[in-house]
Amino acid sequence: MSVDMNMKVLVVDDYKTMIRIIHNLLKQIGFNNLDEAENGAEALKKMQGGETYGLVISDWNMEPMTGYELLQKVRNDDALKKTPFIMITAESKTENVIAAKQAGVNNYIVKPFNAATLKQKIVAVLGEF
Amino acid sequence: MAPQISPELSQKLDAMRDGVNGNAHLADVMHLAEDLVNSMQGFFNQLESSAFSEFKAIAEFITKARSEISALCPNDMKDNRIPGAGAELEAIVKNTEEATNRIMAAAEGIMAADPSDAEAYATEVNNQVMEIFEACSFQDITGQRISKVVQTLRLIEERVGKFADAMGVEDSENVEETAEEKRQKEQLLNGPALNGPETSQDDIDAMFGDANGEASQDDIDSLFD
Repeated sequence: MSVDMNMKVLVVDDYKTMIRIIHNLLKQIGFNNLDEAENGAEALKKMQGGETYGLVISDWNMEPMTGYELLQKVRNDDALKKTPFIMITAESKTENVIAAKQAGVNNYIVKPFNAATLKQKIVAVLGEF
Repeated sequence: MAPQISPELSQKLDAMRDGVNGNAHLADVMHLAEDLVNSMQGFFNQLESSAFSEFKAIAEFITKARSEISALCPNDMKDNRIPGAGAELEAIVKNTEEATNRIMAAAEGIMAADPSDAEAYATEVNNQVMEIFEACSFQDITGQRISKVVQTLRLIEERVGKFADAMGVEDSENVEETAEEKRQKEQLLNGPALNGPETSQDDIDAMFGDANGEASQDDIDSLFD
């Protein structure tokens, strides 16, 4: 099954600059239907508000809701639980990676990262495109 | 027999009680305590010599503490050094963000440039590259700002260290965890590691089985070594 490049991708980060970087990289990869949220709470509100996202790319350390909490809430919501979820974070302790994996993250990228790594992980989660 | 407080000292006590509404400065309180202890010399003389020695030691400790707190220059730290360092850090965040946005806007300009007209394209790329060079000059300024913050931190470290040594202060073992600390622990918020990621991307890939096939138990075990 081929990847729908028109799917809406939600990037969640409390740094506008990081959202801009990831959006530009996603555009280079071929995704142009992009949305953003500045923390987990805003992202969850958008996701539960009827917007359908084909992929969520989220930072971990944000307030008032972290990316880890967002992941847990998404996985516990029947309507959202299958949404592919990639964590991009500076949290690089093994306990973080294991916790995210146990919570159901589809892939995990440590900052700083490059375009090739982002594309590789998206392919690993969504399949070749 | 209760010791008598001199009228002058009594006046000072009243003034502090009436004037500060419960917000007395530590230095004033210690000064008053020192005066109180000194004023009690007559009373001390009537006590056994061992008790007198204890009170004398307390008086000396208070005098020393007052002197050490004064050497700490707490007002200078509170009013100047720490706010100054905070302002420098805020400026660093702002300058870095501005520079990043300038660089990204220039890079986006290059990506969006029309290559069909080679001459116009070259001019546009050159202009945008010059913009990137100029934006990168922020590093010099932020480097100097960071040096000032580091100097302040070293000064505070030195003063607090001297104070702790002089007063024989030891860290308390039963410090209550704040709500913020509790949340940070629950949410596994550790922040970026000082010397690059603690777990490499390759090790993480091994856990997700998307590097070279499925992760072996050895790959996973290696994460815990």
